[in-house]
Amino acid sequence: MAALLWVSLALADDATGWLQQAAAAAKQLNYAGTLVYQHDGRVETSRVIHMVDTTGEHEKLVNLDGPAREVIRNNEQVRCYYPDAKIIRIEPRTYRNAFPSLLPQQLDTLAAYYFFRKAEIARIAGLETQAYIFEPKDGMRYGHKLWADLTSGLLLKAQLMNDRNVPIEQFVFTDIQIGIKIERDTVRPSFRPPPADWEMRESLPGDVVQQDTGWLVKELPPGFSKIVEGYRTLRGKVAPVAHLVFSDGLVAVSVFVEPMPQAPQLIGLSQQGGINVYSRQLNDHLVTVLGETPGATVRQIAYSVAHR
Amino acid sequence: MGKFLALPDADEPARPTELTPEEVSLLMDGELDADRAERACHGLREVASVQTWVCYHVIGDCLRGDGAPIWGISKRLAARLAAEPTVLAPSRARPAPAAVAWAVAATVAAVGVVGWVALTTMPLPPSAIVTAQRVDEVRAADLRRPVVNEYLLAHQEYSPTTAIQGVRPYLRAVTADPQDAAK
Repeated sequence: MAALLWVSLALADDATGWLQQAAAAAKQLNYAGTLVYQHDGRVETSRVIHMVDTTGEHEKLVNLDGPAREVIRNNEQVRCYYPDAKIIRIEPRTYRNAFPSLLPQQLDTLAAYYFFRKAEIARIAGLETQAYIFEPKDGMRYGHKLWADLTSGLLLKAQLMNDRNVPIEQFVFTDIQIGIKIERDTVRPSFRPPPADWEMRESLPGDVVQQDTGWLVKELPPGFSKIVEGYRTLRGKVAPVAHLVFSDGLVAVSVFVEPMPQAPQLIGLSQQGGINVYSRQLNDHLVTVLGETPGATVRQIAYSVAHR
Repeated sequence: MGKFLALPDADEPARPTELTPEEVSLLMDGELDADRAERACHGLREVASVQTWVCYHVIGDCLRGDGAPIWGISKRLAARLAAEPTVLAPSRARPAPAAVAWAVAATVAAVGVVGWVALTTMPLPPSAIVTAQRVDEVRAADLRRPVVNEYLLAHQEYSPTTAIQGVRPYLRAVTADPQDAAK
C-alpha cells in the first residue's frame, strides 16, 4: 500500500515535472510551425510563430483556412484580428502563465484523479516525441494524451479524449522548426496599421478583482479547487460579472454569474471540441459554466451554484 | 458476474425485444396499461431501447430548457437495468400527455430517430442542442457565439491548457463560425 502510494506520488511528480517542462518550453523557445486543429468533424490549419527577445514573448497565430484571422500576443496582451468583420479585439492582460506555479494541492489532485503514464515514442512533424497519457479515474474529466518533443520538451500534439476514449479535440503540428532565429517583424500583425474603417474594441482591464463574490458551488466535482474568485468586466456586459475559476491541475472550469440580461439567452449545454458550456437562469441571475471538461461536469457545477 | 450466473435455465425469460419509438414515447407519458408497461419495461433492458428512452428525455429536457444530457450515461444505465430485476410501481394517474411529448414527437420526426439515438452515444455537436431549443423558443443564432467568446477568452487566461500550449487554445475562440465570431 505504502509502495503503491509512493509510486503514485512519484508519478505525479514525474507528471508535473514534465508538464512544467512543456510549459517552460512553450514560453522560452523560438518556434514556427503549421498547426492543425481538429474538432467536431472540422479541420482548421494555422500558422504559429513564437519568439522571445529582450522585450519578452511574442506570438502570432494566423488561420490558413477560411477568413484570415489572426491572434497576436505580446507578453500578456492578446489582440484578435477579424479582417472579414473589420474588427480588432484587444484583450489587455488576458494571458498569463499561471501554470508553472501549481499549488501543492493541485499536484496531489493530479495523482488522485488521473492515471498518469508514459506511452509510446512517436514521430510527429518529423520529430521524435514521447507520448504521455492522463487517464481520468472518474467521469468528471476528459482524458489527455500529450506528445512532447524529446529534445526540447515542447508539446507537438495534444488530444482530449471522451469516456469512450475517442478523441474529441486535437491540436497537432504537421511541421515545426524549433530553436531557429525569428525576426521580430514576422510576429507583428499583418494588418499594420489597421485600416481606418476597422473597429477597435478594447476591453477594459480584464483582470479579476479578487474578492469574495458571495457565490459558491455547493457540489464541486471532486478534485477541483478554487484558484481565483472576483469580479471582472466583460465586453457587452453592463454590470461586473462574478468569475470563479476551479482547476484540477490539468484543466479549469470557469463560473460566470451576472444579472439576467434583457436579451434572450441560450440556456442549456453547448459544446465546441473540448469546451463545454452550460448556461442556466438562477432567479435573477444568469449562470454560465465553461471548461475543458465533459458536459456532465459543467452541468453539475451550473446546477449547484448558489449564493451564500 | 453475469457470466457466472448465466446458466441455461428453462425459466429464464426470453431475450427482451427492442421497443419501438412509439412504445418508448407512450411509456414515458404513462399511456400504457399495466401489462404493456411491464412488457415495455422489460424491453428497456435492450440497449437500443434505453438509448431511445434516454434520447427522448434529453429532447424533452432541451425543449423545456431545463436540462442537458449527461453523456455516456446510456450505456451505464443499460448495464444497470440489465442487472436489475424488473420492479414495477403501480401506475399513477397522470395528466394527459404534455405538450412536450408532442413536441418531442415532432422533433424526432424532423430529425430522425436514428440520428438522435446516434447522438446520445457520441459527443453532441452544438447545432443539435441548439436545434432542439429553437423549437421551444426562437432565439437568434448569432446571440450565442459572441457571448461565449467573451467567456472563453476570460476563461483561457486561467486555464492550465493555455500555459502548456501557449496561444494555441485561443484558436477555439478565433476559428468560430465566420459570420458571428467577431461580433
